[in-house]
Parts: sequence; C-alpha cells; structure tokens
Amino acid sequence: MNFFSLISILSFITLVFGQVVLFNHLQVFGSINPILYLLFFIFYRFESNQTLLILLSFLLGFLIDFLSQSGGAHTIASLTIGFLRPLIIRYSFGNTMELPQSYFSDSRTLNKLFFLVLLTVIHHLIYFTLIYFSLDAILLITKNTIFTSLFSLILMVITLNFYPNRK
Amino acid sequence: MQRIFNALLQFRNPILYFFLLGLSFSFTAKQSTFHEFNLQKYGFYFSSRLYAFKDAIGNYYNLKEINQQLLNENEQLKKNDLSLRSIPLYRLTNNQSKRFPFKVKKANILKNSYKNQRNFLVLDIGSENGVHPEMGVISNNGIVGVVHSVTKNYSNVISILNQDLKINVRTNKNPAFGSLVWSGKNPLEFKIEDIVSNVSLAKGDTIITGGMSSYFPLGIPIGKISKLEKMKGSGYYSVDATLFNDPSQIYYAYILENLDSQELKSLQKKISQ
Repeated sequence: MNFFSLISILSFITLVFGQVVLFNHLQVFGSINPILYLLFFIFYRFESNQTLLILLSFLLGFLIDFLSQSGGAHTIASLTIGFLRPLIIRYSFGNTMELPQSYFSDSRTLNKLFFLVLLTVIHHLIYFTLIYFSLDAILLITKNTIFTSLFSLILMVITLNFYPNRK
Repeated sequence: MQRIFNALLQFRNPILYFFLLGLSFSFTAKQSTFHEFNLQKYGFYFSSRLYAFKDAIGNYYNLKEINQQLLNENEQLKKNDLSLRSIPLYRLTNNQSKRFPFKVKKANILKNSYKNQRNFLVLDIGSENGVHPEMGVISNNGIVGVVHSVTKNYSNVISILNQDLKINVRTNKNPAFGSLVWSGKNPLEFKIEDIVSNVSLAKGDTIITGGMSSYFPLGIPIGKISKLEKMKGSGYYSVDATLFNDPSQIYYAYILENLDSQELKSLQKKISQ
C-alpha cells in the first residue's frame, strides 16, 4: 500500500462523512448544498485502475445516498462521473500531450480549472436531473446546476489549495 | 470461448458501468414512488413505441391469419345477427324462445360475373364442407344468391344478378311481400314485383328478406326503395330498389344452411301428392 492508496482511502472516508454530516446541511442561500465528494475523483490518480474507480464511485455514491436517505441520485451521478472520468481527463488535459500522473502533478492552471468545471457541471447536471426527474423542471434543473456548481467549485478550489503540489 | 472472454475483459468498464447504473436505477425506483412512477412512464413511452413498431411489422405478415380469424368471427356474428333480426319480427307471444334453424359457413368467392343477364358465382367450398344445392348465400351487407350445384370442393351459385332468380322480400315496416328481380342493367338496380297497391309503402323503406323461402331467414336487409309508383289499371305497385352493396364487388360470402330444409321439402311433397 503506497502513499496514494492511503490518500485515496482516507479521502474516501472523509468525503463520505463530510458530505453527509456537514455539506448536506450547509444550505447556502436557503437551498444550495455544495457537493464536495467530487474531490475523490481528483485525488484518485489518473493512471490507476479504471475498473476499480467505477466500483469505488458506485460505492461512494451509494454510501452517501444510504446515509443521507436520498434516492439513487448520488449513486447514478457519481457512477457516471467515475465512468466518464478518462474522457474528461483527455478532453481537459489534451489528447496529444502525455497525460499527467495525477491532478497535482500538472502545473497548467487553466487546464486544471477546466477539468474541475467539467467534472462538477456534468455531475451536478445528472444529479439534479435525477432529483427532479421531469421534463417540466428543466428551468429548475438548470438554475440549481449553475448555482450549486458555483459553490461546489469554490469550496473545492479552496480545499485543493491546502494540498501540497506533490509530483 | 477465449474470444468471448477477451471481449468481456476489453469492455469490462462499460459493462460494469451499465450493470451498476441499472442497479442504482432500481434503488431509485425502490426509494421513491415519484421516481418509480416517472421511470415507469418513460419506460412505457419507449416500450409502447417499440411495440407499435413491432406491431406494424408483425401485422403485415399476419394479415392473412388475421383475415381468417376475422372471417371466423364474422361467421359467428352473422349467425347471431340473423337470428336476432328475425326474432322480433316474428312477434311471438308468451316469451317463447324461437328456434333459429340456420347455420352459417364462410366462403371465398373465386369467380364473380356481372356482365351477363344470367350470372353465376363460384365459391371455394363444396360438398366436402357440407354445401348442398338450394342453400342461400349472403354477403356482409345483403344477399348474393342461391347455391345451384356443388362439386367436392367448389360450389356454383346463381347470382342475385340473374333474371331467373326471384327472391321473396318485404319491407321492414309492412309485411306485404313481393319478389325481388334484377332489372338487368346496373348491378345495384332491382325491381320488386307483385306488391299489391293497397298497402302503404314509402320511398326509402328498407327491404328485407321475407322468410317465406327455405333459402333465407326473415330480416336480412338488402336495400332501399328508390322509386315507387302505382301502376294504372293493375292493382300492383311498380317498385324500384337499390341494393346496399354492390354484388359485383364482394370477395367473401356466407352460405346459410337451413337445418329444416329436409323437413320443409317432405312437407311440400306431401302437399303436392
């Protein structure tokens, strides 16, 4: 077990409990609950096993759904993000360049930000679509996606700044 | 086998993803009735589209079979219809249930002519299916003719478009009867002879079979009175009638088997002796 696995396991546990205990009850401006467990998809190293990531993302979403008694929305959104992550990485860090080993080993700020935005917006879109699950609520879904994404992103960037840039 | 395993291993991520996605959707449906309802709604939308598509294809290939089923059903319905039509017209007392002595057999029309003055039809069932001469033949909306001769698998029918065939008819309002004869020109135009002029008839009255022959039961609608005139000097009406449907444009027919025809014949023999 190396350092990165340890980080992954620790962040997994911390993020599950952090999301359930803290962030689900934050209610910024009355209704916005930022979703922070997406940090797991950033800590998980880019070169690591993809199959394991799918299983872990399912488990992550399932635990959060289970503990916060929401429907299956977290599970489906998190699972989909776990499945789509290689695509998002390739899209945001460049197809032709050699891919970085992890999020922290890359130094291009714009690409990293783009990666974060893509991850968050796709996740939130799926999440809110499943929460409302009706074609009549498109406006509500869009509104919620935009504002919650904004707050999630801000909190994620703040959290990520506490981590050292390990190569 | 090795190849299948290789393919499974190669696509293990998508397979795993879709498996878990299905699992989570089932959790979602279990958790909330709203989601369950909506999932069922979308599922129904797609499945109905799919089934409509499948149905459109399947229908085309099943047309023949369905046609056959419909004919069978019609055969049954026709019998019920005929017995229902005739019962109220018989005016029975004491709520007696009236026997309906007719059975219905369906047949395809193989040959139908209407250009001659004496036309005949050929049907695709014969003595093997229990067809005998002198059975009435009707279509879905009117009558076709009377069986003339039968072979093992085919039967020859004197068409209603034959000037030798006279059919006993009456109107639905008045029990006065006459005989329906083809005028020999248009397949829809007929004449009704021998209606005495002291009964009240009106243009537009429906003509039905009279039930006086052993060929047809009472009450099969045939056509309408199109022209009505009292002939001077004789005590009869001159009535022109139009049929409900064109006997030259039919492809199926029903043969009526009168179960009492032997009985009736023997009775008539006794009278003539």
